[in-house]
Parts: sequence; C-alpha cells; structure tokens
Amino acid sequence: MIKASHVTKKFGNVVAVDDLSFELGKAESIALWGSNGAGKTTLIRSLLGIFPSTGTVSIHGIDVRKHGKRARSFVGYVPQELAFHDDAKLGSSIMFFANLRKVSHKGAAVALAKVGLQGHEKKRLRDLSGGMKQRLALAIALIADPPIIVLDEPTSNLDASGRGEVIDTLCQLRDDGKTLLFASHRPDEVLSLAGRVLVMEKGKLIKDITPSELWPTESRIQTMRLYLSMGTEETAATVLRDAGHAVNLNGNGLCVSVPRNRKAEPVSVLAKAEIEVRDFEILEEVQGDHS
Amino acid sequence: MLKVQYIVGLCVLLAAVFGAHAQDTPRSSDEIARLIESAEPGSTVVVPEGVYEGSLRIEKAIVLEGKGLVTIDGLGKGSVVEIAVGDVEFRGFTIKNSGSTVDQEPAGIRAFQGPVIIEHNRLEDVYFGIDLRPAGDSIIRYNTVIGKELKLGRRGDGIRLWWSHNTIVEDNTIDAVRDMVFWYSEDLSVARNVVTNSRYGLHFMYSHNTTLRDNELTSNSVGIYLMYSNNIHLVGNSIINNRGTSGYGIGLKDCDAITVENNALLANRVGMYIDNSPSSVDSFGIIKNNKVAFNEIGMLSTPITHNNVITHNSFLENEEQVTVHGRGQLMLNEFSADGVGNFWSDYSGFDQDNDGVGDFPHEPRSLFRSLLARQPNLRIFLHSPAQQAIELTARAFPELSPMPIFVDHSPLARPPELDLLVSSHQTSRLPMVGFAAGLLLISVISGWLIARQPCLPVLSDSDLSQRVFV
Amino acid sequence: MTTLPIETSTESTMIESGSHLSGVSSVIAFARREFRDAISSRWFILYTVAFTVLAVAVSFMSLAGSGSHGFAGFSRTTAGLLNLIMLVVPLMALIAGAGSIAGERERGTLLYLLAQPISRVELLLGKYIGLAIALCCSMCIGFGLSAGVLAWRVGGVGISAFVMLVIFTCGLALAMLSVGMLLSVMSRRSGVATGLGLFAWLILVFLSDLGLMAGTILFKLRVQEVFAIGVMNPLQAFKMAVIVNMNASLDVLGPVGMYASQTFGGALPWILALVLGVWTAVPLLIALVIFSKRGSV
Repeated sequence: MIKASHVTKKFGNVVAVDDLSFELGKAESIALWGSNGAGKTTLIRSLLGIFPSTGTVSIHGIDVRKHGKRARSFVGYVPQELAFHDDAKLGSSIMFFANLRKVSHKGAAVALAKVGLQGHEKKRLRDLSGGMKQRLALAIALIADPPIIVLDEPTSNLDASGRGEVIDTLCQLRDDGKTLLFASHRPDEVLSLAGRVLVMEKGKLIKDITPSELWPTESRIQTMRLYLSMGTEETAATVLRDAGHAVNLNGNGLCVSVPRNRKAEPVSVLAKAEIEVRDFEILEEVQGDHS
Repeated sequence: MLKVQYIVGLCVLLAAVFGAHAQDTPRSSDEIARLIESAEPGSTVVVPEGVYEGSLRIEKAIVLEGKGLVTIDGLGKGSVVEIAVGDVEFRGFTIKNSGSTVDQEPAGIRAFQGPVIIEHNRLEDVYFGIDLRPAGDSIIRYNTVIGKELKLGRRGDGIRLWWSHNTIVEDNTIDAVRDMVFWYSEDLSVARNVVTNSRYGLHFMYSHNTTLRDNELTSNSVGIYLMYSNNIHLVGNSIINNRGTSGYGIGLKDCDAITVENNALLANRVGMYIDNSPSSVDSFGIIKNNKVAFNEIGMLSTPITHNNVITHNSFLENEEQVTVHGRGQLMLNEFSADGVGNFWSDYSGFDQDNDGVGDFPHEPRSLFRSLLARQPNLRIFLHSPAQQAIELTARAFPELSPMPIFVDHSPLARPPELDLLVSSHQTSRLPMVGFAAGLLLISVISGWLIARQPCLPVLSDSDLSQRVFV
Repeated sequence: MTTLPIETSTESTMIESGSHLSGVSSVIAFARREFRDAISSRWFILYTVAFTVLAVAVSFMSLAGSGSHGFAGFSRTTAGLLNLIMLVVPLMALIAGAGSIAGERERGTLLYLLAQPISRVELLLGKYIGLAIALCCSMCIGFGLSAGVLAWRVGGVGISAFVMLVIFTCGLALAMLSVGMLLSVMSRRSGVATGLGLFAWLILVFLSDLGLMAGTILFKLRVQEVFAIGVMNPLQAFKMAVIVNMNASLDVLGPVGMYASQTFGGALPWILALVLGVWTAVPLLIALVIFSKRGSV
C-alpha cells in the first residue's frame, strides 16, 4: 500500500530522513520505532507529501509527489495531538473534514459514532479531553473509510485509560483489514499492534524486524523511567543502547524497556559508566502479545 | 356665375377652417411678412396659429403677437427672426432651428436697433438665442432659450447684449448655451434669470453700473464672470454647482467697485475667484453677508489682490476655505471691519464672553496648503492619510507651521442669517434607501448562507449497526 | 505485500471517486470555514464595529452643516469617508491576510490540513475567498448604515458614485488582503506576519506618499512622473477612482489630476481599476507559488 524508496529529507544541512526505503503491504501494520529526533515524524510527513522530499513515495500505486492530493485520499492521518481550531465545535469540525473528503454528513455522524463521540457535537474542541481529541482525530481519519491509517505517536499525550481506548480501536481497525503505519516510542503499543517494526536512528532505517525480534523475551516486558542528573541523559541513552536495551529518550525522561527479571541491569550498566541514577520508576506492565 | 363665386367662397372658407386646424402643414414665413406689410406702423398684428417656415425680417415698428401658438422654423439656415428697426414688440412665439455656422453667428432673434421688447418667447435649437447688436433701452424678459447640442465652446450665447445700454434682462430661462453675455452695456437690470448647463451663467465684459439680482446659476462651468466691468452689485444670486474647468461661482477680473452681497455660493469648484479686483488703487470691493459653502475652494485670489472688505460672510465647510494662487498672502484685504468678521466653520477658538465674536483671531495655518502653494502637483495627495499626517506634524511642531494667509480678527461665533431662495435639490430617497437596505441585506444574507451549518444527522439504528469501536 | 494494481484493488471505487476530487468543493469548504472563523473572531467584530461606527459618524458630521441644502452632502461624506477607508480598510485586510496562513502554521493546524487530500493551492484560495467575502460583508454593513444616514438626511444624491465607492473599497480590500496573504506565507510566526502587515500598512498608507511628496518637491517631478509613481500605490489608485467616479474628472487633484483626466479620459477609471486588479492578482499569485513551492509547514 505504501512504497517508499530512497526517501531523503534535509532541513538545511540537517538530514532528517536519510535514504530510507521500505514497503508496507495491504492489511499490514508497521510501527516506526526510534527516539525523538530519529526522523519518525519527518518520515510520516514526507510519506504524505506534506513537504517535498527526494526519492519516491507511492501510496496505493500513486506517486505522492505528482498526485499528492489523490494519494492522500487513501490515507487517514492521526497526528500526535489534534491541532485544530480550539474555538470550533466538534460537530462543525468533523463536517468540515467530511466536506473536504466529499463525504456526506451522515458519514461524518457514523464516524463520530464509531469512536463513541456522538452526542458531543456541541462541545468546543478546547473543552475536550486529550482522549476525546484523539478519538475525534481518529474519527476524522476514518470519515472516508480510507484503506490506510497513518498515526504519528497517537498516544503520547494521553493517560493510561485514553491510551487503552485508542490502542483498542487501532487493533480493531487492523483486524478489519486496514493498513496501519504508526510511530511510537512505547514497546507495549508496538507489541500489541505492529506486525513489523522499522527501527530508525538519526534518519536511517537500521532494522526492519518483528516486535518479538526487537524484544526477544516475549513474556513480559517492563518499562522503567530513570531519573538522571541533568545533561547525562544522552550519554546514558547511548550506553544503554550499546548494552542492548530498547531506550526511548523524550521530553518525559529516559525510558528503558527491560524484561521483568532484569530490572537491575540498566542501573548497573549506568553505574559502570559512572552515570548516576537518582531514582527509577516502574511503569505499568504490558502483555507481550495483546490479542 | 353667382353660383361659382359661392362655391369658391365656400372653398376658401373651408380651406381657412381646415388650414387653421391643419397645424402639421407648415406655411411660409412670407405670410407673416405679408401681414406686417399690410399693417399700419405701430399697430398690433396677431399672427394666426401655425408653423411657419423660413426666416423673418421685421422692418416696421410694429407689435407682433404669437399668443404662444405660432412657431417659426428657421430650417437650419441663418437667423430666424431679425428686427431691423426700433419700437418693435415681439411676443409669444416659438422660434426654432437656426443655422449654426460660426462666422455668421445666426441667432433665434436678432435686433439691430432699440428699443425693442422681446418677451414670452421660446427659442429652441438655436445657435445664438437673443442678440441685441446694438439695441439699447430694450426689454428682454420671460424668454426661454435652449441651445443646440454642441460642445460647450462651440455653442452660441443664450442672450447677448452688444452696446445696448439701459436694457432690462429679467426672468429669462436659459439652458445649454455658451454664455449670457453683456458687452459694453451699462445701466442694465439683470434679475431673476435662470441659467443652467452653460459655460458662463452671466458674463460681463466692459459693462459698468449694473445690478445683478436674484439670478439662479446652476451647473454651469462658471456662475458669474465679471471682466473689466466696474461698479457692479451682485445681490441675492444663488450660484450652485458650477464646476467646469475653472468652476468659479463668481469670478472677478480687473473690476473696480464691486459689491457682492447676500449671495449663496454653494458646491462650486471655487466659490469666489478674485483676480486683481479692485484693480485701481483707490477702489474697494465689498464682499458681505454671503454664504460660501461646500465649495472645493471657498475663495481663491491672486496674490496681488487687495482692498477687499470681506465681512459677515459664512465660510462653511469648504474643502479649502480661502487660498491664494501660488505663494502669497491676503494681508492687504480686510477680513473684519468694526469688530465684525466672518463665520468660519473651521474656527478652532471659542466665544467665552458670549459677545458673538470669537475670543481669538482666525489665522488658518496649513502646512499641506503651504506646500501646495510651493508645488501645486502635490494636490494629487489631497484626501489622503499622508496629508493628515503632514497637518498633524505641523500641529505637533509649531515651528513647522507656515504663516497664515489671512487673519480675521473678529471671527463670528455663529453664522449670520441669510434669506435666500435656494431651490432644494431633493431627489427621491427611495434608491438610496433601497441601496442601504440592499447592502445590509446582502451582507447579512450572504453571511448567513455561508456561515450556516447544518446539524449532524441523527443516526438510525441501522446506521449504528455498523461496528462501533469504543 | 507490494502495492496492488489499481484495478484489482478492493478500493477501486475509492480511486474512481478520488480522481474526481475536484478542487472547487475543497476551496468552498475552506472558504466557508475561513468566513465562519473570521466573523466569529474578535478582531473582525472589533474592526467591523469600528468601521461602521466611524462611517456613520463621518456621514453625520459631514452632513451636519448642510442644513436644508441637500446637494453636496454626498461628496462631502465621500471626502470624509475616503480618509477613514484609506486608514481602516487596508489595516483590516492586511492584518486579516497576514494572520491567515502564519496563524495556522503557528498553531500547527496547517500541517493537519495539509495531510488531508487537498492541495496547497486550494487551501490558500479557499482562505483568500473566505476572508475576502468576510471583509466585503463587514464593509457592506458600514456602508449600508452610512447610506441609510445619507438617505435620511439628503435623499438619493450621488447614489451611483456611492455604489462605485463601495465597489472600489471592496477592490481595495481584496488587493490589501492579497498583500497580507503574501506576507503570511512568507512568515513562520503569526507575530512576524502581523508585524510585516503593519509595516506594509505604514508604507502604503503613509511612507510611500510622504516619500513621493518629498520627491516631488526636491526633484521637481513633472506631472506625468508624479502620476505614474503615485498611481502605483493602490491607495492612491483607489482614491483617484472614487474621485473620478464622483466628479467625472480628477481636476480636484490639481495639475496631476488634470493631466491624468486629459491624457486618459474615459479610460482613467478602468486604468485605476486595473491597478487595483494587479495589486490583487500579483501578490496572490506570488503567494500561491511560494506556498506551493517552499513546502514549509
């Protein structure tokens, strides 16, 4: 459904996506994995033709660069956080996107109902909770019932329950035969949704593997949040990656995913590298295989 | 034999009866000439009703009556009626279709000797209207003259007096001619004439000692233009919307002893233009109790202008109230006398002691106007925010303020009363009301149509039977 | 799994309908949304109220002295309105245009819109049309009430000139909106765009005229030079167009105006309309090109 070859995107001298190629088949579900700055978001925007890049991208056999508008009509896009006019009402927003996609207002109502937002049409977007906003974004993506859904860290701004709702919806979409491409930095999401993981680092595709290959201990994986001294996060992330851990460094701190029985490992690895761990926190446990 | 005579007589009678009613059938103007020929000098000839073709020349002192039922058609050749002798009265005719060759100056009615009385005639489609050359001591009144449809400069004069003293020109209505013009004619009475859509409403050349009273001059190039004419009183005229190239309400060029009193000068390009008047050292001009309002320039003078006493006038809302051609000042004119000046709608002072006179002199200073005097091309920036910016700058930095071009030491606190017969130019309100309502409706309706938002449809159970995700 | 040939794809119907995604309905959707956003936004209501109040006040004040003489009321009202229009309308249109794209960009909504099956041209055109209609509606309210005052006080004098005043004011607004949108696509932040808009306003309304005035005095520019440079300013072109429609000539504006009237005669209103047309089309086209080519979000 999506075929990208040699996609490169530079911002000035910074190479955000570096000669990246992959293919995404029908009804496949692929996760983009990598820390912030790895180029996930840029890749997604390049795939959608939002800004120009070199290389070729085709969606559903249509060249995005030449026929971006038509190619995008096969894609529903869910951003990290729904950025839309805060003053607008939920109902008028979804009708606007229904108009853009030439879908009847009934279709818009159906899409809202699908994500359980019917009855909230009069609410203004600024009054919606994060979870509701993400469900609205999903509804907008689903209005025209496109075969492909592209999501850019759809759960990063959500709390646990919001996240659960979104992940459940995505699982059902996948089971319905939609093709999914999503960026994530949460192993639980990747494990529960993705059939394949594209691991990105500094704009390059470094691995194209299954989630179970990425996290070999399939049974249970825990995510730890480590609290480090200021300025040592980058080094710590590198040290942990070198030691074979799945690391995610973002604004929320340094998160490392470890098998349940090896929780002390990251701390000791960092201690060896003389990086002080002030404290750590175990985030919730997830099943390796959600279904 | 008797029978034949009888029949002929009947035919003549019938012809006379039918002829009188058959107005469509034009007759020759020679018939009128024959009537005059057969009349005694000094007698009255009533011309039978009808249309007469060809020109007519009157060479006998006679009273010719048309009773408003007689038309003389000049067939587009030469003058229509020529009066060659004095003591002729010509009354109640419709004259039309004179020639239009410039060199012969064909006229509707031309008199070569006075006194004549020309009244209650209607002249249409004539090159010149009524032309006295010369015919002193005459009376021209209650005539209507409508000129030919020619370009302004190519038209003839509606009424022209040439060396015709002591003539009365009153209550005439003139439209679409060049000028109503007076050459070398003195001691006239020019009153209650209406001149519209012409070049100069009233034009005096070397014609002295006359009063122009209660005339209406509307939508001409210039209202009243006096040149080289002395001792003239302009009283009670209403001079409105004269906006030609020069566009003066009243223009005075080299005229001594002029009195301009009780006139309304409204919505002209220039209310009053004074070019070197008075021109003699010991002469004074008096400009008193006029209403000068809504003109682009209230009063425009050449810089050498002096010896005018300008008091009791209202200068209301003229775009420029008083200005000078080029650079210069009007300090040699009096804008107040005996403690009474003029009313200025742009006076910025006040009258705290309530004596009817402003407590500060009126000394208008405008930096933009003084720039205009230096560089007339700057007038293109009139009505622009940049102009306002310049004025504000001058107000903020008084050292930039120019010298005032005149000073009124006793500006009036209230406009003087002025009794004038200004016809109201009211037109139907309906189109404007409709336009206003239309604009509002368009914006509201189109706004509603565009902003209107349907409600999301309520879904039936069958719609909802599709899979619900959450 | 590789990309399926279109024919065998289950979504082939989608493609058929997709190929008919004509831009017009997207443009209309954007225009309607922009219009809706505009008329519910604070700045727009503020400007509309300000313009309306000022227009009505100017109409009243210019008619205050006219008493029973109905004539001259209109031209005086127009003269008063001209200053107001030349100050407020460009400000309103420039700021509205400047905020349009840069605001979406700053809030991140532009990115989301561009991820939809629309083209950048449709987005920009839709926004332009929506804002243009909103501006024209706003001014029609002000003019409508002002015309009501005229009708009440002086009757139907000068109605045709008033119609032309409304039309040319809308033309001026469209031109200024174009310039504003051009500034908007060039700016990353809406604050920058608004600043640029204000600067453009200052230049067009004051600085260019003051500069040309200084030039006219210093270099003794000839009439044709003053006219040629002056008429390039859309505000001057607008002003001349209004005056030429009111007086049938530009003699009011001194030697330069007379030169223009005599040289161009009956073509003058069209030339002035053309100036506004160029100021509308060219910045909008440049904005479209920049917005499409640069691909910034």
